Amino acid sequence: MSGRILTGYCLLVYAFLLAPIFVVVAASFNAGNFLTFPPQGLSLRWYVVFFENEVFMRAIRTSLWVAAVTMVISTAIGTAVAIFQVRYAGRAKEAVRVAMLAPLLLPEVLTAIALLFFFYAIGLGTRTMAGMIIGHVVITLPFVFMNVSAAMESFDPAYELAARSLGADRWTRFTRIMLPLIKPGVIGGALFAFIISFDTFTISFLLKGIGTSTLPIQLFDYLRTNFTPEAAAVSSVSIAMTVLAVLFIEKGLGLKVHRF
Amino acid sequence: MVARRPSLAPLLLALPAAIVLIVFLAIPYANIVMMSVRSPGNGTPYGPGFSLAAYIKFFSDGFYLLQVANTLWIGALVTLCALVIGFPVAWQLGRGKTKLRGIYYAIVLAPLLVGIVIRSYGWTVLLGNNGVINRSLREWGLIESPLPLMYNGLGIVIALTHVLLPFMVLPIMGAIQGIDPSLENAARSLGAGRWTVLRRILLPLSMPGIQTGCILVFVLAISAYVTPALIGGLRVKTMAVTIVDALIDTFQWPFGSALALILSVIGALCVVAFARATRMRWKVAS
Repeated sequence: MSGRILTGYCLLVYAFLLAPIFVVVAASFNAGNFLTFPPQGLSLRWYVVFFENEVFMRAIRTSLWVAAVTMVISTAIGTAVAIFQVRYAGRAKEAVRVAMLAPLLLPEVLTAIALLFFFYAIGLGTRTMAGMIIGHVVITLPFVFMNVSAAMESFDPAYELAARSLGADRWTRFTRIMLPLIKPGVIGGALFAFIISFDTFTISFLLKGIGTSTLPIQLFDYLRTNFTPEAAAVSSVSIAMTVLAVLFIEKGLGLKVHRF
Repeated sequence: MVARRPSLAPLLLALPAAIVLIVFLAIPYANIVMMSVRSPGNGTPYGPGFSLAAYIKFFSDGFYLLQVANTLWIGALVTLCALVIGFPVAWQLGRGKTKLRGIYYAIVLAPLLVGIVIRSYGWTVLLGNNGVINRSLREWGLIESPLPLMYNGLGIVIALTHVLLPFMVLPIMGAIQGIDPSLENAARSLGAGRWTVLRRILLPLSMPGIQTGCILVFVLAISAYVTPALIGGLRVKTMAVTIVDALIDTFQWPFGSALALILSVIGALCVVAFARATRMRWKVAS
């Protein structure tokens, strides 16, 4: 009997977890002028408004571009250090892991402030996108690292040894043996870096270049003054993109992503 | 085993990451300390000399001390709510043999995948004066004027608990999965009821997970920016909101830095006090 109470309790918690996400998606199909739930009639009008809103469209393009650049840089750096950690770090293995997870454990708002001052101090400022991209690389690095290092742990060094005894040089061993075997971890980490970069707010908010806005920033600005369902449409599209990326990782590639 | 090579080549693999972490994390953090003792600027973010003006301003104004207390109070409440709400879920996920486990697990992770702005926005839709909850209650005739759910501490606690719940559930779930089920079975066979098993076996043995979860949630709660900014509005401000205001809106960089440092130090002291009170064995969460 108490088992049933537990299940019931947990179902309530799951409802609590999904409620705000559900409400946003449902509200986006509202036909009325104001944000109400349940919606007053169904319509896609707010999606049309959103897609015709040049400000939001520019923000989406910026977000996608920043996320793509971040993903490439973060994946390259994170993969290299994960290989080092599992294969070569020796006694420093645990220390390397803690250091790599540091950006995840430090409050994002502090990291953002620290970088803001630093960029001004070295004269980079926020005139270009470079600062924001560096910030994104710092906070996405742990995710790439976790995924690749997990893949490295399950990769049997005997394969590499066999290739070496057959005369394969270091580069060949890397491209023909190691990389194909840890590919799932690399792709999982890369997509995760993309998602985190696409969704993150605080880092972008403090480090954004003048006149450049990512989607979460634009949404935040919009929400401070507007209450139309357009924001719900923007949010729903953003959620849909993330869900598609995760489904692609888990179903399409059959990967298990290490998020935590 | 691959023989360890004397060569330094493998270090090159770690070099880019080391540069990023040192140049773009360690040095900038050290720089905050420097910034906090700069003299306040006059039309500029900071002045030419050094001074303790920022710290004096903080400690001489009761407003800021009250705000720190308020932020810590919200953090503690969120941690407690997340623990009470999260523990049964972690138990079900860690022990449950239900077929739906995969789906439940996905639901717990789902909030992590939706941007923080969107999740906070969802709560404004639910909690606002014309939001789902107030509107429904009014239509059912249960209330006449809207309940004050938003623009106050209550709304911030509700929304932050939601945002941070996965960080409580996941470590506890990991700890519970690591407990040998035969311990519970043995207790049951010796006549212990479910409640006794929970109190005497599961709770003590999952303590490392509970401690990790509490610390993560507390630290993230007191430093959260987006959720308090959107839900708290202009009336209730947490430290993180004040810090960002000081930096972005009023360009008081030394003061903002001092606030950020003070918040970090107080947060760290709370974590240490908590760890000592619960006799935590320090181990890095995996």
